[in-house]
Amino acid sequence: MPEPTAHNEAEELLPWYATGRLDSDQRVLVEQHLSACADCREQLTVERRLIEEFRSLTPEVDAGWDRLRTRIEPQPMPRTSAPGSRSNLWSMVRSPAVAMLAAAQIGFLVLGSALLLSLSRPTYHALGAASAPANADALIIFRADASQNDVRRALRAANASIVGGPTAADAYLLRLPRQQRQKALAGLRADHQVEMAEPIDGTP
Amino acid sequence: MTWSVRVTRPRAKPARGRSNTDGELLARVCAKDLQAFEALYRIYQPRLARFLANILQRPQLVEEVLDDTMMVVWQTADRFKGASKPSTWIFAIAYRKALKARSRWPDPVPEEDRDSHASADPQPDEQLRHQHLRDALREAMSGLSPEHRAVVDLTYFHGLGYREIADIVDCPVDTVKTRMFHARRRLKRAIPGSFADWL
Repeated sequence: MPEPTAHNEAEELLPWYATGRLDSDQRVLVEQHLSACADCREQLTVERRLIEEFRSLTPEVDAGWDRLRTRIEPQPMPRTSAPGSRSNLWSMVRSPAVAMLAAAQIGFLVLGSALLLSLSRPTYHALGAASAPANADALIIFRADASQNDVRRALRAANASIVGGPTAADAYLLRLPRQQRQKALAGLRADHQVEMAEPIDGTP
Repeated sequence: MTWSVRVTRPRAKPARGRSNTDGELLARVCAKDLQAFEALYRIYQPRLARFLANILQRPQLVEEVLDDTMMVVWQTADRFKGASKPSTWIFAIAYRKALKARSRWPDPVPEEDRDSHASADPQPDEQLRHQHLRDALREAMSGLSPEHRAVVDLTYFHGLGYREIADIVDCPVDTVKTRMFHARRRLKRAIPGSFADWL
């Protein structure tokens, strides 16, 4: 029976002996021990089988497949619980902190929408119209200290005319020259008396 | 899914010249050569994907950590001074990133029976036995710590020596040997049936 120290040392080195990654002196040490220890010879056979099996395991393919499967199957997979994944979005939303954040976001969106509506909706409702006049294509807010002359100058320079407003947010609805809309908007945005000039149909 | 499919297998010993090639590519990456970086990415992506999938066991994190790893390579290639092989340096970055990513998320719920998604077709006994063995190994790996999984994977699959593994996981060589020793015990215990059946 080999002495325990040599046995332990050889047993620890077996995986790297099996993969051919030992220095020559360590290889000799293991081989000498193997010649005398049936237990380690059996362990070596196990090592070689483990290596063979491990090389045919495909965790990266499994991971890829799991990821793809979550896109095909609607139910989330519990073992892949990385927050941020689509499959766990709902469970994230259900957590109190995230739910609070989500509620805040929704609230912000509702407020934002209301603000946009209030900006784009004229304060007067001609003939019951609930939306901006059909011929309005931009929204403008002047600085609070802009004079009447400033407003007139800016509008003339852009060849724009007011077709609605002021809204509750003191915005005005503008009609811009069809052919020079971008240029007119750019000119208004560059004007230091203009706080905001945006198209109301969402085009840049 | 058939388990006979095999993906890129590492060489037991790295090919001669590979390190030089990687070193040259890294040198070009220092000069922000995108083509060289793409070449390096194509060399390392499959190996890192395997390594990270083993450590992380979260499919969604593998891509993220792999990308983060390669971004560090892109941004800090000039810090590679050639004290180790380029592969050691890159794997060490991946290892650190993986452990950091794991610390951000709680441990996954224990694995469900994966066979529920497997084909219901009758399989030959031998094939079934083989599949059970691999399932058992996979499950046993899941039960190990990420540190132990990294050592097992780097040894058995990537074919690295314990000194290089110690450099990658940044611990003494004796720790690598001890981790491997305990991991092997756990793996062997998990193998269904007796050794004689298995061998």
